[in-house]
Amino acid sequence: MDSDRRGQWLRGVLDICVLALLSEGESYGYQLAQALDTAGVGPIQGGTLYPVLLRLQKTGLVTAQWREGNAGPARKYYRLTDDGYAALRAGGSAWLTFVRPVNDIVTKGVSR
Amino acid sequence: MNRLVTVAEMTLRELLRRRGVLLLLLLMPLTFYLIRRDAYLGQSVRSLLLGVGWAVSTAALFATTAARELEPRLRLAGYRPHHLYLGRMLGLWTVGLVISVPFFLLPMIDGADLRYGGLAAAMLCSVAVAAPFGMLIGALLPRELEGTLLLLTVVTVQMLIDPAGSGARLTPFWSSREIATWTVDNTDHGYLSRGLLHGLVVTALLAVGVAAVASVRLRRRRHLRHLPVG
Amino acid sequence: MNADDWLRTLTAELHQRRVAADAARHVVAEAATHLREGGGDPWVVFGPPQQYAGAVVESIGTAPGPRPGPVRLHAAGITKRYGRRSVLRDATLTVRAGQIAAVIGANGCGKSTFLRICAGLMSPDAGEVTVSGRLGYCPQSGGTADFLLADEHFVLIGAGQGVARGPARRAGRAAARQLGWEAGGDVQARHLSGGTRQKLNLTMSTLSAPDVLLLDEPYQGFDQGTYVNFWDQLSRLRDTGTAIVVVTHLLNQLDRVDIVLDLTPARETGWHAPGIQGGRP
Repeated sequence: MDSDRRGQWLRGVLDICVLALLSEGESYGYQLAQALDTAGVGPIQGGTLYPVLLRLQKTGLVTAQWREGNAGPARKYYRLTDDGYAALRAGGSAWLTFVRPVNDIVTKGVSR
Repeated sequence: MNRLVTVAEMTLRELLRRRGVLLLLLLMPLTFYLIRRDAYLGQSVRSLLLGVGWAVSTAALFATTAARELEPRLRLAGYRPHHLYLGRMLGLWTVGLVISVPFFLLPMIDGADLRYGGLAAAMLCSVAVAAPFGMLIGALLPRELEGTLLLLTVVTVQMLIDPAGSGARLTPFWSSREIATWTVDNTDHGYLSRGLLHGLVVTALLAVGVAAVASVRLRRRRHLRHLPVG
Repeated sequence: MNADDWLRTLTAELHQRRVAADAARHVVAEAATHLREGGGDPWVVFGPPQQYAGAVVESIGTAPGPRPGPVRLHAAGITKRYGRRSVLRDATLTVRAGQIAAVIGANGCGKSTFLRICAGLMSPDAGEVTVSGRLGYCPQSGGTADFLLADEHFVLIGAGQGVARGPARRAGRAAARQLGWEAGGDVQARHLSGGTRQKLNLTMSTLSAPDVLLLDEPYQGFDQGTYVNFWDQLSRLRDTGTAIVVVTHLLNQLDRVDIVLDLTPARETGWHAPGIQGGRP
């Protein structure tokens, strides 16, 4: 895949994906990156993911807490705030509304 | 007041840690006394007094030279020039007084027959003159070596000059010599009073000299204006 | 560059971009944890440290720099001649509270002289210096008493401001600790190593909490760690509103500095970099 284009798509949607993953429960950076990769979005580098997390934290959509791991280093765990849930609903719905017609157009074009 | 005492205290602490200087302070007057001990008593007492004067002057010289780099910083830290030179003088006088005690007792232990009041007065004069004398030389000459040589010259002159001669009163330690004569030779009171006066005047003059040099060197420069924090 | 070096560089980059210290620590720690869990080359996972630091700054912003305050030091038209040789010609410098000024130039071009004139230890042939507040000065070498202990230096300096012994000693030891040095004990200054003695020298100049701090290449003999601590401490002092002037010939820290005064006579270099105050040719 063209990495530039993928980067552009990710820039638009990565924050909503992170919010969505966090709605399942709290998580930390590395775990989120793994989850995104497993879900098929592809490998997300730390340099891309953490600035997003920082921005979400700064705008109050997530809170973070350092916790000692049982066996391993302390990790910074993120969880959604009420504002975060609201932003996820709004942004997620907007995305789905946006992407449906796009999928229709593109599916028709590719299958021709 | 506290600033003065602090400077005096630090001068004392520094001197006590300089073992070479301490040795000087203790050995030199002793040696001077012992060399002349077999001679006539007056000689040995006069040598002792000169030894005390020289030792304290040298200590004053070293203390002043060592502090030269520090003094501008102390000015910036809030000291006025008089705290610095008066404090140092106080510290040096204290050292001088302390080392005088064993040397005052020395002729006593030796069983010398003399007026011990006079001996005390002569020692006080030696110490009083020696501190500002050494400080002035240290303030005027850049290095300790030159200062030590100058002190050596002065002490030699002091030893050799005829005390009754006309030029003798120009030597700084003449006062203790005069008082020593009264102490040992049972002369009239004139010697005592002349000596005390000379000691007082010379101490005052030397102290004023030290104050003048310090005030010039550590002066508030005209090009620098200090404003309060705004 | 291994992971530790990458993390160290990241720390420096974040500091340089004036990211708040706590936030910077968190960012670096999180990156370290991520690398430990997933392995990989930090250059691939995060990119170059400069780039990552830039991205972080875009996300969380920087600590608001304290606005430069009122003018604390103003030196104008400073001229000094030694015989026929002109050491300083019309040197000018204005430093405000919360600014760091570096004085640079080749050897012998009068940097130390300029600083001593600003400190009031030497008179210029022409020119004026105005200082607002308390002045602190650290000479290039010397400036300490050979036979006194570090604590006694602190007491001596403190007494100038009327500070009692206990508080003076505590303040001195605290300042020394910031340079990575434990100052207690009974070692006379003459027995301290060169670098440690310089730390004492530097600590003495900051003890009286001056509003204007003049430092003449005070880092002689510092090892790399102390050198970093030194610049960290300068930044801290700067953030509390001190105006600082540092004479230096090491140009690699000039990006942490607000003003540069180049005393090299312009006729030699023929060049004044932008943003640099200098003397007239």
